[in-house]
Amino acid sequence: MNLKKYRKKSPWILHYNTGSCNGCDVEILACLAPKYDLERFGVLNRGNPKQSDILLVTGPVTKRARERLIRLYMEMPEPKVVVAVGACACTGGVFRGMYNVENGVDKFIPVDVYVPGCAARPENIIDGVVRALEILEEKKKDLQLTRKCVGDIEYVLGKQLNRRKIVAEGIRRCYEDRRD
Amino acid sequence: MEQIVGALIVLPWIFAIAVFLSPNHRLRQILTFLSLPVLTYLAFKVWNSNLPFFVETPHWVETAVTVFDYLLLGYFLYQGIKFRSFLVSVLAVAQLFLLTWVLLILPHSATPPIYVDRLTSFMYLIVATVGTIICIYATKYMEQENLDRENRFVAILLWFLGVMNFAVSVNNIEWFFALFETTTLASYILIRFRWDEISVKNAIRALWMNQVGGIAILIGILFAVKYYNVYNFTDILKINATAISMIPLGFLSISALVKGAQMPFHKWLLGAMVAPTPVSAILHSATMVKIAPYLILRISPVIKGTLLAKLLITTTGFVFVAAGLLALTQDNFKRILAYSTISLLGLMMLTASMGSSVAILASLLLIFFHAVVKALLFLEAGIMEKEFHVKYIEEMRRLIEKAPITVFFIALGFMSMTIVPYGIFIAKWITLEEASNFISHGAYIASIIFITIGGVILTLLYFKVIGVISRKRGEFVSFKLEKLPFIYMFTTGLYVISTIVGSLFIAHFSTDFVNLVVKDITGEFANIKAESLTLITPVSQIYDWQILGAIILLMIVPVSAYFVYFKADRVYEYTCGENISLNIGTYNFSCISKIEPFIETIAVALFVLTLVLGGGLV
Amino acid sequence: MSKELSVVLTLLSPFIGGLVYGFERIVRARMQNRQGPPILQPFYDFFKLMDKRSIMIHSFHAFMGIMYLIGTWFSLYVLLSGGDILIAIFFHVLSLAFLVIGGFSVRSPYSVVGAMRELIHMLAYEPVFVLAAVGLYLVTGTFQVSELLKTDTVPILTLPLVFIAFLLSLPAVLKKSPFDIAEAHQEIIGGPEIEYSGKFYEAVYTAKWIEYVYAFFFVFLFAGGNYFLGAVLVVLSFFIVNLIDNATARVNFRQMVSFHWYILIPLVVVNLMLLALWRA
Ligand code: SF4
Repeated sequence: MNLKKYRKKSPWILHYNTGSCNGCDVEILACLAPKYDLERFGVLNRGNPKQSDILLVTGPVTKRARERLIRLYMEMPEPKVVVAVGACACTGGVFRGMYNVENGVDKFIPVDVYVPGCAARPENIIDGVVRALEILEEKKKDLQLTRKCVGDIEYVLGKQLNRRKIVAEGIRRCYEDRRD
Repeated sequence: MEQIVGALIVLPWIFAIAVFLSPNHRLRQILTFLSLPVLTYLAFKVWNSNLPFFVETPHWVETAVTVFDYLLLGYFLYQGIKFRSFLVSVLAVAQLFLLTWVLLILPHSATPPIYVDRLTSFMYLIVATVGTIICIYATKYMEQENLDRENRFVAILLWFLGVMNFAVSVNNIEWFFALFETTTLASYILIRFRWDEISVKNAIRALWMNQVGGIAILIGILFAVKYYNVYNFTDILKINATAISMIPLGFLSISALVKGAQMPFHKWLLGAMVAPTPVSAILHSATMVKIAPYLILRISPVIKGTLLAKLLITTTGFVFVAAGLLALTQDNFKRILAYSTISLLGLMMLTASMGSSVAILASLLLIFFHAVVKALLFLEAGIMEKEFHVKYIEEMRRLIEKAPITVFFIALGFMSMTIVPYGIFIAKWITLEEASNFISHGAYIASIIFITIGGVILTLLYFKVIGVISRKRGEFVSFKLEKLPFIYMFTTGLYVISTIVGSLFIAHFSTDFVNLVVKDITGEFANIKAESLTLITPVSQIYDWQILGAIILLMIVPVSAYFVYFKADRVYEYTCGENISLNIGTYNFSCISKIEPFIETIAVALFVLTLVLGGGLV
Repeated sequence: MSKELSVVLTLLSPFIGGLVYGFERIVRARMQNRQGPPILQPFYDFFKLMDKRSIMIHSFHAFMGIMYLIGTWFSLYVLLSGGDILIAIFFHVLSLAFLVIGGFSVRSPYSVVGAMRELIHMLAYEPVFVLAAVGLYLVTGTFQVSELLKTDTVPILTLPLVFIAFLLSLPAVLKKSPFDIAEAHQEIIGGPEIEYSGKFYEAVYTAKWIEYVYAFFFVFLFAGGNYFLGAVLVVLSFFIVNLIDNATARVNFRQMVSFHWYILIPLVVVNLMLLALWRA
C-alpha cells in the first residue's frame, strides 16, 4: 500500500513564532478559524513538534529564538516541511539588518515554501500550505539536518546519528559565528 | 489437638528464648529459619483437624493470667511514671481499677477459655507464614543495623508471634484483654527499640492509645456480665441477636477500631515507623492491627444488620477514604504505606461488619492478601533503606536503573493492592456487589461510595509512587541485576510468589480454603463457586481469561522496562524548545493537608456516634 | 450478545471508533459554522502516522503507548463479551494505568502533569460509573452485560437521574471540554500523550477511538433489551456531549472533582435510594 498519498490528507502543523510582530500569527490563526477553516483539509494545529508534519515559522529569528528553532525542527519526525510565513520569516522583513535578528529562517533550517506578505494574507498562507503538501508528498524519510550541520555532521559525530547529539551540535554551531 | 495448639502458642516463646540466648549470629538465623516450617506445619495440622474445638485449661493458668495482668498493668504504670506520661499513668490506674472490678464480679463459667475454630487457625496460618518470614528477614536487617542487639530484637518479634497466636485462640474476653494488652506491650517495646527521643515519644503514644482500647474491652466485659452474665465469645454468639443490648459489643468494636488504628487513633501506627523496618512490617501485616478485623469478625454474627454494624460501616468506610486522602500528601515511603494500611484496615472492618457470608469472605481475603503484600512492601522499604539509602519517594527517582528487582517487586506490590485481578481487588469487587443488595439502607450505599472513592484514591496514590520509580532518563546503558543478600531475596521472593499464585488461583483459594472459615463464622458457606480459574459469585463472575489476561498484561509492564528495545531516533522531551535542566517532582496535594483537621473532626464525631448510638448508650 | 458478535465487534472497534471520531469532528465543525474534515479523516491521520519516521524518548515509554492500545482493546472485549460491568470498569482503569505509567516514565513536565491529571480524571468519573452499574443491577437484577441486554425492563425509565449523571460524566471519560484537563491541548499539549510520535502515537490515537466505543456502549446499556431505544440514546448522548464540548470552557481539576463528587454522585444516590425505598 502506498502510504505517501495520506501525507497530503492529514497535515498537522506546528506553529512557531521566532520573534514576529504577531501580525502573521494572527493571520495563521485566522486560517484555522471558521472563516477559512483549514481543518477541512485535515489540518490540525497540534502545537507539538513530535506529532506535526508542517512547521509554520513566522518572524525574523531573533538570537534568543534560533536555538529553540533548531530544537523544534529536530524534534519533528521526518517527512516534514517548513513554511516560512511572512516577509520577516523569508528575509528578515522590516527587521532586516537589526543587531538582534538573524534575517530569515533559512539561515538555520531548510525552508520549502516562502509565503510573502507583511502580514501574509490567509489566502496566501493556505496556498503556501497546499504547496507545502505537494512537497511533503515527495519527501524522503531520511534524517533532515539543520542548515549548518548539513554536509559534515556524519564526519563530526561518526556514523551512528543520534538526534540528541545533532541538536547539541547544531546549537553549538549556531553560536560559532556570534557577533555579540 | 490441645498439645498442638499449646505448641503453637508456646513454641514461639521457646524459639524466642533460644534466639535470645544463642551466642552466634548463624545459630540465631538457623533457629529463626526453623520457626517457619515448624509453625507452618503445626498451623496446617490444626487446620486439618476436626474444628472447632474447645481446650480446657488447668486452673492455675487462670490464676497465672490474672497475676500476669496485674504485672503488666503495673509495668505500664511504671513506664508512665518513668517517662512522666500523665496519660499512660492515669490510664494504667484506670485499667487496674476496672480490672479489679471485673475480677470481682466475674461469674463462674463452664465454657472453656480457649476456642479454636477455622478463623483462629486461619490467623495461625497467617502468623506462621507471613510473620516468621519477617523474623527471618529481621535477622539480616539487624545484622546490618546493630548486631549486638539482634538477638533481643528477633526474640521479641518471635515472642510477639506467640502472643498473637494466643490472642486469637482465647474465648474468654478477660483473657483476651490480657493478650490485647500484651500485644500493646510488644509493640511498645518494639517501637521504643532504638531508644532515641522520638522513638520513646512514639512508643508512649502507641501505649496510651492502645490502653484506651484495653479500657474499652474492660468496660465491655463489665457490661457483658451485667446484661448477659457471660463473658466468652462463644456464649455471646449464642445469645439471641435481636433482643440483646448492644453496649458491650459497642465497646468491643471501639477497642477494635483503636487497635486497627482507625482515625482519630491512627497516630500510633504512623509513629511505629521510627522503629527498625521489620517492626512496621510485623505490626502492619501479620500481627497487632489484624486483631482489629479479627475482633469484628468474631462478633459480626451478633452485630450483623444492627445499627452498630451500620455505623461501623460508615466509620470505617470514612477512614478508608480519609486515610487514603491523607496518604496522598505524604512523601515518606513508610508513611505512605502506613496510611494505606489504615485505609485498608478500614475496608477490612467495613466488610467484616457487613456480616453476610460474601462480605466475610471478602474480609478474610483482604486480611490474607493485605498481610502478604504489606509485608512485602515493608520489607522492600527496609531493603531500600539499608541497601540504597532511600527513604523518601523523591529519592527513589532513578532507582529503576540501579535496582531493577527491588523496583519490580515494589511495583508489583503496589499494583496488587489496587488493580484487577489481584486478591485485594477481588475482595473489593465482591463487597461492592454484595453491598448492592442492601441498597435501601444509607449505610450500604455509603459503603459503595466509600469503597469506590477510596479505591480510586488508593490507585492514585500507588500510581503516584509507581510513576516516580518508573521515571528514567533514557535507555538502559547496560542491564544488570542488583546484588541483594540472599535472605532479602528469599523473603521478598516468597511474598511475591504467594501474591501472584494466590491471585491466579483466587477462585479455588476462596472456595476451598477461605469459604471454610466463612462457614465457621456465619454458619453458612458463601455462595461462590470455582470452575478452573473462574470465580462465580452469586450475581456475577470473573472469568479465567480475565484473570490470566490481566496478570499477563501487568507482568509485561515491568519486564518490558528492561527488555523491550525499539530501533528509532531518540529525541529530547518536549520543553517548548527551551534548553533547561529539569527537576521533576510529584504533586504533593497540599490542598488536602489543609483539610486534615476537618477530616479528623469528622472521624472523632463518627467514633462517638458509633459508641453512643451504635452501642445503644442513649 | 453472542460470542462471535462480541469478538467481531471488538475487532471492528477501531473502525467504528474512528468513524465516530470522524463524524464528531464534522459535527463539531458544523456547530462552529465550519465545514470540517471528511469523515474518513481519522483514518487518513492513521495512515499518515504509520508513514512517519519513528522517534521516541526511550523504548519503555514507547512500549507503554502500545500497551495502552492493547489494554483498552482488552477492556473493551471484557465489556462486550458479556461479562461483569464492574470488572469491565476496573479493566478500563487497568488500561489507563499503562498510559499513566508511560506518562510518568519520561522526564517531561507536560507528560508528568498530564499523567497525574489522568489519575484525577479517574477519581472523578469512576464512582459515577460504579454507582451507575449498581443502579443497573438494582433495576435488572444482574451485573452481567449479556443478561442486561436481554432484559425486558428499560433501565432508563427508572434511572433518569442516574442517566443524566452518567451523561454528564462522559466528557470526563472522553476528555472533552469542560473536563478535558488531562489533555488540555492549549495548556499541556495533550498531557500523557505528548511525547509519543509516529507509530507510537498512532497506538495511543487508536486507543482513544476504542474508548469512544467503550463509553458509548455504556450508554447503550441504559436501554436494556430495547436496542432501538439504545441506539437513540447513544446518538442523543453523542450530540449532547459534543454540544457541551463546544459550549463550555475548561475548568480546573478541583472544580471537576467537586462537580462529580458533590453534584453527580448525590444525583445518582438520590435516584438509587428512592428506587430502593420504593421497592422495599
Ligand atoms: S512579516 Fe510583517 S506582519 Fe508578519 S511578522 Fe513580520 S512584520 Fe509582522
